[in-house]
Amino acid sequence: MIVESKLAPIRKGLLEFLVLKIVGCRSAYVPDILRRLSGTEFSTQEGTLYPLLSKLRREELVAYQWQESDAGPPRKYYSLTEAGRAQLAALDEYWSRINRTIADIGH
Amino acid sequence: MQRIATTVRLNRSTVQFEDAAYRRLEAYFAEGEQRLAGNPDRQEILDDLEQAVADQCARRLPPGQGVVTLAELVSALDEIGPVQVPGAAPAAERVSRDNTTRDTTRRLEQVSEGAVISGVCQGLARYFRLDVTLLRIVAVLLLLGTGGGMVLVYLAAMLLLPFAPQAPGGRPVRWLPARSREFVEFLRAKLHAVAS
Repeated sequence: MIVESKLAPIRKGLLEFLVLKIVGCRSAYVPDILRRLSGTEFSTQEGTLYPLLSKLRREELVAYQWQESDAGPPRKYYSLTEAGRAQLAALDEYWSRINRTIADIGH
Repeated sequence: MQRIATTVRLNRSTVQFEDAAYRRLEAYFAEGEQRLAGNPDRQEILDDLEQAVADQCARRLPPGQGVVTLAELVSALDEIGPVQVPGAAPAAERVSRDNTTRDTTRRLEQVSEGAVISGVCQGLARYFRLDVTLLRIVAVLLLLGTGGGMVLVYLAAMLLLPFAPQAPGGRPVRWLPARSREFVEFLRAKLHAVAS
């Protein structure tokens, strides 16, 4: 529990990176994203995800398309923009570097 | 006579709520709106969340039932979770921080970071919640209009107003603001020595 709370800000900061990763894999709507994250350390809720997606859309990293659904109203499917793809690659690269640093330090 | 249910339009869906559930729903969105104050995507996020509430409630309604009960709504809102703005502190933390910032923002101080001379205009702008550029223009006009009398007023303010504490990780204070700050601190030390 203590370990979890110590890294809580990092998990929070990484959520954006993970959302970009999920959306980058293939276009997804919010329940897809929540399902992908549920049961992981990054499990989150709609109250968090919608504001984050709106921010990413404003930053032009993601875009959405309306798609009709069989049950209920149309759904917003999010996907990466070109800028989003570039950002994801840069984040991936940086994250690997951080991991290497962590692995190397103390040896 | 008793009102039984309220019909609510939630983005693209129409949902009926028990009276108690409706009040709980209103409270959730009132809080959400407050947390999203100033967010450029506020309306979009609220629309998305309305739809989420409608979908979650529809999933919880037993077949043949049309009115969402308080228990069903509470369960739906628990799953959706409170509105969390990216980059903001979690709700509980923010309350205490809001209290501390409110105290400091209402103090009349000079703000060195980003100052032109010593930060008096910035401090006044922060205190009265005005645009600092506007205050600077007024100050320059007063300087011209009073034939230099404004210089004395500014010097007095420089000496009398305390300096606001610098924000951690804020811009360093350079050039004239740094010099004027040194000058004020030097003068204050002198005056203190004379007084004692």
